[in-house]
Amino acid sequence: MSLQISIRQSDDVTILDLRGRSTIDGGESELLDSHLQKLIARGARKLLLNLADLTQVDSSGLGIIVGTCASLRRQGGDLRVLRPKGLVLEVFKVVRLLEAIPSFEDEAQALASFQSRGHAASSS
Amino acid sequence: MNAPCSSTAPAQLKTALVVASGTDIDELLTSVLGSDGWSTHHAVDNQHALELATTEPFDLIVTGRKMLGPDDVEILRRIRSARAHVRLIILTDRFTPGDVIAAMREGAFSYFSAPFDASELAEMVRVAMASPCWDDGIEVLSATPAWVRLAARCDISTADRLVQFLRGVRDPDIPEGIIFAFREVLLNAMEYGGNFDPSQHVEISFIRARRAVACRVKDPGHGFSLEELRHAAINRPADDLLGHVAVREAQGLRPGGFGLLLAKKLVDEIIYSEQGNEVLLVKYVDPPISQVA
Repeated sequence: MSLQISIRQSDDVTILDLRGRSTIDGGESELLDSHLQKLIARGARKLLLNLADLTQVDSSGLGIIVGTCASLRRQGGDLRVLRPKGLVLEVFKVVRLLEAIPSFEDEAQALASFQSRGHAASSS
Repeated sequence: MNAPCSSTAPAQLKTALVVASGTDIDELLTSVLGSDGWSTHHAVDNQHALELATTEPFDLIVTGRKMLGPDDVEILRRIRSARAHVRLIILTDRFTPGDVIAAMREGAFSYFSAPFDASELAEMVRVAMASPCWDDGIEVLSATPAWVRLAARCDISTADRLVQFLRGVRDPDIPEGIIFAFREVLLNAMEYGGNFDPSQHVEISFIRARRAVACRVKDPGHGFSLEELRHAAINRPADDLLGHVAVREAQGLRPGGFGLLLAKKLVDEIIYSEQGNEVLLVKYVDPPISQVA
């Protein structure tokens, strides 16, 4: 399945529900990048990527997640991830991504973490 | 290797032939093909497909799972002798690694050996539907059970096809991690060495030794040194994954180096040639218990 992205809002946190894969193959990672850049251009600074239905990620997807997170932090915002699993979680573990980007299993907890000072401890 | 075929044919109704493989697969394929306006015909078995294919100019054929691997290759050979450019995806329950190589040599578009992920099959069908020129994308230069040499065109769909052929072999000593590493290195070679230029090719060798599997990828570029990538993720401390982003942005580069970082972590050795346009991935294989002294 190629990438499908749904966007919803919870207070000042923008949640992106990702379904499918974020790889270079069919331009899926490019699509994700385009959505993220548009959101940031419109003022979004707190992004939560819901990865529960993301089945694959490769280096292109990783680069976009890392680049977006770094960009947001420079602007006083942050990016966090929700429920990575399967191959996606394996890839994150291989590159130790979860040491740099907080990950949560519970959406309410993830949303609350944006309101607390500093980074909440990863719950993964 | 031949020059890429023309992709300027006018748009027209495309037709596919799907051989019965079971309700779930048949419905999935009909849905994927229909979503892009393709007309789908059905055959009860591969022999029926061969009969239909000799009279109807199908653009894409998906075989049924119930055949033996060598029979699939024979069907492929006969169909392609009648319809040289048909995209044929083989589904099979019973096969050998030699069948996969034979299918690649005979110009199969892709190869799925059971059990396979239906969503991966659907993606490959979409790739086939979107690939007007493909049949010169992969060339088997030489093949023995221990050493396969290939040339592959520098485009993403060819990389996808090659990765699926490797998965189709189902070698227990080539787990998904190695395939993932190979894919990353292959795409790096196609992008940075070949600029995703379909007139360029990478050369690939798979070597199956008793105690190791290895994969060599040579790209057509001028090479690089890891020192040049000192700002990339692969050369940053493991606990500083985001540290390279600002440095690269200052140089007008997007975050990068994750493909090499992933490959390095997923295989036992990664070795570059002096020029840097050849890379060797090595994964050591535990010997069977019966061979341990």
